[in-house]
Amino acid sequence: MKILGLVIVALVGSVLIYATVDFPPFADPESPASLHVSPRYIEKSLDETAVPNVVTAVLADYRSFDTMFETTVIFAAGVACFLLLRIPRRRPPGPRHFRHRLTGLTFRVKDGENGKEIFLPLREFEPVDSVWTPHDFIIEKVCRYMIPFIQLFGLYVIAHGHHSPGGGFQGGVILGAAIILLSVSHNLRTALKRMREKTGALCSALGVFIFAGTGALCLALGYNYLDYRALAALLPGGPIMARSHGMLLVEIGVGVAVMGTMVWIFKNLASLGRYDEGL
Amino acid sequence: MSEHYPALLVILPLLASFFISAAGWFRPVLCFPFTVAGLAGSLLVSLGLLGDVMSGGPVSYRFAGWDPPWGIYYRVDHLNALVLAVVSVVGFINLLAARSSVEKEFPEKAGPFYTLYVLFMTGLLGMVVTGDAFNLYVLLEIAAITGYALIALGKGRAPLSSLHYIFMGTIGASFYLLGVGYLYIVTGSLNMEDIARLLPPLYESKVVTAAFVILMVGVWLKMGFFPLHAWLPNAYTHAPSPVSSLVAPLMTKVMVYVMIRMVVTVFTLDFAFTFLGLNDAVVWLAVVAIVMGSLLALSEKDVKRMLTYIVVAEVGYMVGGFWLGNSAGFTGAVLHILNDALMTLCLFLAVGNIVHVKGNSRMESLPGLFRTMPWTMAALVVGALSIIGVPPTCGFFSKWYLLLGALEAGHYGFLAALLFSSLVSVVLFFRIFEVGYFEPLGGSHGSAHGDDEHVVREAPLGMLVPLWITALGLILVGLYTGEIVGRVIRHAVPAMML
Repeated sequence: MKILGLVIVALVGSVLIYATVDFPPFADPESPASLHVSPRYIEKSLDETAVPNVVTAVLADYRSFDTMFETTVIFAAGVACFLLLRIPRRRPPGPRHFRHRLTGLTFRVKDGENGKEIFLPLREFEPVDSVWTPHDFIIEKVCRYMIPFIQLFGLYVIAHGHHSPGGGFQGGVILGAAIILLSVSHNLRTALKRMREKTGALCSALGVFIFAGTGALCLALGYNYLDYRALAALLPGGPIMARSHGMLLVEIGVGVAVMGTMVWIFKNLASLGRYDEGL
Repeated sequence: MSEHYPALLVILPLLASFFISAAGWFRPVLCFPFTVAGLAGSLLVSLGLLGDVMSGGPVSYRFAGWDPPWGIYYRVDHLNALVLAVVSVVGFINLLAARSSVEKEFPEKAGPFYTLYVLFMTGLLGMVVTGDAFNLYVLLEIAAITGYALIALGKGRAPLSSLHYIFMGTIGASFYLLGVGYLYIVTGSLNMEDIARLLPPLYESKVVTAAFVILMVGVWLKMGFFPLHAWLPNAYTHAPSPVSSLVAPLMTKVMVYVMIRMVVTVFTLDFAFTFLGLNDAVVWLAVVAIVMGSLLALSEKDVKRMLTYIVVAEVGYMVGGFWLGNSAGFTGAVLHILNDALMTLCLFLAVGNIVHVKGNSRMESLPGLFRTMPWTMAALVVGALSIIGVPPTCGFFSKWYLLLGALEAGHYGFLAALLFSSLVSVVLFFRIFEVGYFEPLGGSHGSAHGDDEHVVREAPLGMLVPLWITALGLILVGLYTGEIVGRVIRHAVPAMML
């Protein structure tokens, strides 16, 4: 079987290499890919869409319908992780750990008679993970100060996608990473307090809904699906500016969806679907 | 409104998915109504589209208002209008049947389940309606990811089978993408008709040949064309019943459609049949697929698993019929997409009912079933007769066209394979009928279960009604074959095959 596999790999590889003979030369300005559709994108996108960043214009306007489904793929991945990993039952019976807030001493509390859970008063004790996470003062504090700035930068990347590299996907990942960093530096419980499971999941759906809804709004206003010119009826600036505004709206949707989905998937994976302990 | 049909077809289920997802958190009872609304909407739209195409010819739609090579473009002609109607009908009927199983097997996960269900349908419908080679890939990804997750929801070995499917499916999708990338390198376009326009002077280029081969292998992998079928039986067997009766009838059929679309519209028959001259070789591959699929089905002891091998054989029918390269073969292949989707749905729904009542679908659970589950088994008989090809069920007619095509092309190997596979189906299904009808319940000890024997323990009505709609549909489609071929499929046959 192994040899057969190697033969197949060699065969496919040689087909791919065989084809490169007829490739246009590397970085050839005369190659078909640079002559057919791209000239219009490069020369006209500023006039047609009022967005200086060509990549954003292609992604969020000319081929916006693809991008909408790319975002849907992310949403579907989030739902898939949730469907397969989430365990709806409460935590399994077993000892729990609590840390005394003042002294930092950790207590191991067994389940009481007939499996009843015993809680220590939360004013004096905080629950900690059974796989004990070190109480690292420096990491906690540094992350705590960094996270707001990371989030601010994420917002900047989303908003500035029209002019510089960036946009909804990248900004969304940065926003999601900020929450994940909180979870890694503290623990899952702290991160869950900032962003509940439901919030993450709803953000994931809401973000794609903003994208698809923008398209549906254009349709309701009598234009084709995702034809942002329709938004000129609601926003100032005429049809060309409306394309730019439409793209911003859509990018915000992508950002929200990506952030929500990243956090959602992370929490499902890190806690094995139990949402009680984890990083 | 009707000019927006191609967009609404995909958008309605997509929008429904967000509402289902939100309802799953706040009001789980609303999930099912939202799903029904979304899929019923796209069903009505697809029927409307079929009507529009039949009366007024192909319909097209420009997304975001950009003209074809720059923006994304949907185009519906007779071929995909028919497939769209099939996909949305099958998805909708199966949804009605799914409710009871979902409530029994994973009630707390209804929200995400229905969300993925409509997204899966969105992906399939989009793949069929699109006129853009890259857009097709994105929608393929949606259908694939949701499909993997739904299959992994099954019990026992389901997650492992799904993982295997993920590996194979990802390779298939990547091959498709690689093929599209190669085409983009030499043509600079992603629009199907635009590529077809730019290709003829490039036929000599090795890149186009490599693109064609890689793309075809990718598509064959996704449809489970023998010998690339290894992932299929496990994935479809271990999936929960409402999922296997959704994925098995649709995924393979849509991939067959994609193959036909890529060959006819993108590469053109000139290139695939005349320039490369691959048709004879591919028909022989299909012969092997049919024979091997039938033989492997013969060795199975589990009814559901047996059906998955029948799916493998049926893929061979459609691939072979198309590559015969004549009008009858093409008609047979397209008609078989419709018929096989309905037949497979009927059989998987029937097996789903058996699993619902009996807990499994092994041969040992079959004895006495004709008495305890008469309605389910009667529908199973209709589906089986259709697979065998007994008139007036629809299976007979597509097989007839395929046989005509094989005769016309003078391909007697394909002819023999078709007849052989029909005979094997006779053996397969009459074995089931025999066990179900004649073998006494509870084995040789007889009297221990004697009291149970006459008690009817049927699946719930919610599962029986969709099953019977499908079974009657098999006969109706059979009776109206002439209409379907004359008014729809005949217009889809490429000019070169006439």
